[in-house]
Parts: sequence; C-alpha cells; structure tokens
Amino acid sequence: MADKIKLFVNGEEVEVESGKNLVDAVSAVGIEIPHLCYHPALGADGNCRMCLVGLEEGGPPLVPACKTPAQEGMKVLLDAEHIRKIQHDVMEFELINHPIDCPVCDQAGECKLQDYYMGYDRKDSRMTVPQVTKSKKLDFGGGVVHDQERCIVCGRCVRFLRQITKTGELGIINRTDTARVNIFPGRPIDNRYGLNVVDLCPVGAMTSSDFRFKQRVWFLKKVPSVCHGCAKGCSITIDHNREKYQDDIIYRFRPRLNQQVNGYFMCNDGRLSYRRENEGRLTQFRLGKNERDMLDVITGCNKEIAHSRKTVVLVSPDLSLEQMVSVKALAEKLGATLSGFSDGYIKTGDGDDYLISDDKAANRKGLEILGIDSSRKSFEEAMADAELLINFNNDLSLSYDESGIRSLLGDTRTIACSTHDDELTGQAHFALAISSYSEYAGTVINCDNVLQHFTKAVTKNNELPDVCAIAAELGSPLQNAGQAYAELQRAIGALSEYQPADIPAEGLNLNDSEAANVTA
Amino acid sequence: MSDRSQLISTGEPFQFDKERDAEFERLVKRYPTRESMILPALWLTQEQEGWISQEAIAYIADRIGTFASKVYEAATFYTMYNLHPMGKHHICVCRTLSCWLRGKQEIIDYMRDELGLTPGKKTEDGKFSLEEVECLGHCGTAPVVQVDGEFHENMDVEKFKSLLATLK
Repeated sequence: MADKIKLFVNGEEVEVESGKNLVDAVSAVGIEIPHLCYHPALGADGNCRMCLVGLEEGGPPLVPACKTPAQEGMKVLLDAEHIRKIQHDVMEFELINHPIDCPVCDQAGECKLQDYYMGYDRKDSRMTVPQVTKSKKLDFGGGVVHDQERCIVCGRCVRFLRQITKTGELGIINRTDTARVNIFPGRPIDNRYGLNVVDLCPVGAMTSSDFRFKQRVWFLKKVPSVCHGCAKGCSITIDHNREKYQDDIIYRFRPRLNQQVNGYFMCNDGRLSYRRENEGRLTQFRLGKNERDMLDVITGCNKEIAHSRKTVVLVSPDLSLEQMVSVKALAEKLGATLSGFSDGYIKTGDGDDYLISDDKAANRKGLEILGIDSSRKSFEEAMADAELLINFNNDLSLSYDESGIRSLLGDTRTIACSTHDDELTGQAHFALAISSYSEYAGTVINCDNVLQHFTKAVTKNNELPDVCAIAAELGSPLQNAGQAYAELQRAIGALSEYQPADIPAEGLNLNDSEAANVTA
Repeated sequence: MSDRSQLISTGEPFQFDKERDAEFERLVKRYPTRESMILPALWLTQEQEGWISQEAIAYIADRIGTFASKVYEAATFYTMYNLHPMGKHHICVCRTLSCWLRGKQEIIDYMRDELGLTPGKKTEDGKFSLEEVECLGHCGTAPVVQVDGEFHENMDVEKFKSLLATLK
C-alpha cells in the first residue's frame, strides 16, 4: 500500500494515497473533479481546463488538478463560486460548436459532456452565430468512424496512438475553432488496439463501425467477465440485451479496468470475439444427423460409454477450472484417458509484448494446475486404440488438417460436446450443445497466473447445459459447478478461503501465494 | 483561419534537391531529437517548391522517422506554411482579436466582392492569393495585412485599395 497523506477538500479533511495527482487522489475517496482530457493511462495533458481547482494557501490560486500532485496539508477548493463559474464557462466553451446529436449519438448515456452539462452547466446556449461545421462521418480505418463536429479536441485518441501503440496515426490538424482530429491521407488507423480510442473518447466523436447505431447504451445489461480470446484473459464488460421477441445477444465487449491484467485496454480481436458468442452456435442435440431430445442423446451416450472398452476424454483449454475438474472426475470414474491436447490453439508469432498472447486458449494454466496431460504424444497414443472419444469443446481442426483428423479418428466413435456447430460436430455420432463462457459462471487462470472469476452474463431463450451438467449426466460424481468448485478449493490452496463471489474483481495472482502449488 | 486540412496531392514523389538535402543533413545535427527537424524541413520544402504538398509531408515524416500525422499537424497549424501554390502576390490578413475588432472583415469582404478571392484560394489570373492568419503580433496597429511578407498597418478598405493598385 502506498503512503497516506491528509489534505483538505472544501475545508474537510480527507486521507488519500500519496504520489497521485489531485483528480485520482480525491476520486478514490468519492470526490469528483470533472475532467475531459485527463486519463490515468495517458497522463495529464492539461488542455481542457475542466479540472481547474482553487488552492487556498501557497502556490497559484488556480491549478489544473490533473497536473497537480496531491500533497500533505493542501487546501483544495472545489465548492466555491469562482470554481463553479470556471466549470460552467469551460462547459459553455466546449458546447459552442457541439451539435445536439444526442438523440442519434452512440455515446448518449455514457457521455462525459452530457454528464458534465447536467452537473456543471445546465444553461441555455447564448450562441447567435452559426456553428462551425466539420465532417460527420470519416472512416479512420481499423473499424473507427469519426465525427469531427462532436469532437472536443481533448487529444486522448491522439495520445493513445502515440504513447501506447506508438503508431501515431492520428493528429490534431489546424488550430483554433477549425482544429480537428484526422489521419494523414492514406495512412489510416492500422494497429490491433485501435478500437480503444472509441472507449477513450469522452464524447461520441469516435464510434465503432461495429457498434454504431446498434443499441442505445441504457438498454444494455452490463456484466463483468473475462475475455476468452487468448491466454491473457483481459477483464471485460459484456454488454448484452434481449430485444422484444428476440433472443438475448451480445452487442459489444469493452475492457474493464484491471491493473493486474490488462489495465484500461484490450485488443481488437478480443473485443470483436463477442460475435462468436452470438453466431455459429450449436443449439441441437443430435444422434448422428438427427435432432433428438437432450435426454435421448444422453441415454445414447451412456450406452455407448458402457460398451466402450477404451475411452478417451478430450478437454478444451478454454473450459473453466470447474468444468475441467468435472470432466477430470468423469474421466476417472470411467477409467478413461484424459487429455488436454490443444497445440493448435497456439499461434506462434501472433502475440506481442502487450496484451495479445500467442496462445489462444483462455485457461491452459488450468490444465497444468489440474495435472491434465496435454502432450500430443500421449493423446495420439491413447487415440490409436480408442473406441470412443468424448470431446468437450476442443476444436481439433486447429491442431489437425482434414486428413489428420480422419486418420486420428479412424473408426473411433465420437461424442462431441460443443458450443459451435462445425464439420466435426456434424460428423460426430453424438452431438451435444453446451453453453459458452458468456452463459455460465466460472474461473480461469491467465498466462501470468492471475486467477479470475466471471459470472453468467447472458441467459438464452433456450438455455443450454454447461459442461459440468453434461459431465454429471455422463457419470461424473460432481453434480454441478458448485461441487466442482469445492473440489477446486482442495486443488488450489489459494482458493480455500474464497467463495467464487468473494474472488476480487481484479483476480488473484497465484504467483503471490505459495499455496498455488498443486496439492491434488 | 480557414480549414487547411485538405492537402493537395501532386501525384509525383517528392524529394529534396541536392542543396536542401545537404542543408537538412547539416541542420539535423543541431538538435537532440530528429523530430525537431519538422519545422526546418517544412521551410526547406517551401523554399524549394513555393508550397508544401501531401507528398512532401509524407516525405518529411519518413525522412525524419516520425508520424506523418505530426508533420501534418505542424504544417496546418502554422499559416506561414503554404499548402497550395500561391499567387504572384500572397496576402495574409490577421483575424485575431484586435484585428477582428478593428475591421479586418471589411478587407476580407472587399476582396471577396471585388476580386472573387476567399481565404485559402487564389484569383483566377493567379495574381493574388489570400490567407486569413492568426496573430501577427502587431495588435497595436490593427488591422494588419501582410503582402509578400511585408507588413501594412492600420489598414482600412481605402488604404487597401491603393495598396493593391501598387502591386503589379
């Protein structure tokens, strides 16, 4: 913990962390200093002047809070006539050329300008001259569409692309009231983190071509979760909604602040991976090609399992720890060989040293901690004389080409428990639809050994069973995720004192605890 | 200041001639970072071509090793950089507070009505080009007009008319 210092805001003493600027220091104790250009990840720029506060003793009478370190004994003045006038004047200034687009603006509902207008301005416009008009729809590339008229020229997007991605596609062109954000002609936004500028934009100037005009944000249900796009496991918020007479679908992923994992940002690939939760899903239970009741298919599977002399159980490295524990218990019960072989999930060279990992599996550390063998050799040896393969959502097409799969499977019978309908589920003797990570609660461990728990976000009209439920139906002694979690607490010592709901939002860093050692 | 964001593309690759190339290399040693060369490199380009094209900005950015957006920013910020070919005589009218209050608009309107000349453009015969610029630092003698780099103070439409008459 950082040192604490005491300072005064509006005459009241507050205790804040030292080493922070005034905006961050006092916001931690619930006092808001309005600010537009400042963002903790991009540093203070001091261009918007919205955060000006008074200092009662010593130093200049007015300072930008974003550029002023919190100091012991400081007397900060926020609630005073002249400060309120500054805030009102800055708002009036920002709004001179801001169009009243709110009814058609994606940002409406989560817009700083709207919030601050209500909080600090609430006055009619005094402007009698025509507003400066600029471009309303500029394609900046990388899925970013820009509205220059809404822009308040805070420069967050420009700073993000210069400081964080170091690609510098955007600049502030011109000056005075004709200043605007633009790309250099022919050099569009071209990096894998570009869509973060949409989140960073405090107003509706940066829009995502993917989300543009799809939903009003106040209709979206926002649930904290964990991205399953790669082994980094960025903390995200899933924004979903059920339109009248429709199914519940996801409209966007947004990064959720987690200093232990992803900070404020996430990559474009992960952000757009929500589409895979909506599309191409397996929703049927099938015997061969024929759709049947779930129970019929389960009964068929159980007969098949009973007849099989050698069974191989394959798990996906994307499954939650609870699911892996359930499947592991199932494999032990059946005397089957358990494998987590998934070399194909690793795309060597695709990652970077920031947030994108080579490994596209969300929970490979889980396989390791639970001692599930993932080697190609042992999987292929087991498959050589296997009569039945029970596959829990492991996409073999990533690890093998078509002929590879054919020779691997031979005449092995297959039970495919899958989130997505593809060629392999089409060929399986039994296909069982299962829920995907937005539809169940679970725990995963990322590539840096940070364990995160996520809750169920989406409830589909036709709810699908999760892997724990299917495993139980097929004979696992663990009946549900709750029982699996209790088992997990025995395996991972660090979890023993945590119920799922108690796991901190930023996760548990298992590197910090010796108890991370496998005890199972 | 008019919108200067629309760069003109020549369709031809740009590069410094021998003399400017040598000058660039001489200057670059002066500065702790190469980015400091943005403004001098823009001057060199303007010296060489009379104006600065889209290709020239890309060339400067690549030559310095910085983002094209940064050079674009600087070139559009400073009205002293010409982003299109100039007329024979280049007229700059200050539009900042003092000059605005003291009647710069009448001079601008006069040019629009009499010469068909608007800021950022040049006359059809190519004789005059006009730019509205930010403060030229002569607020005490506003409004101020700059013709081919030379200051003319305390201007009004009548004075401006006779000034134009002297320009061939």
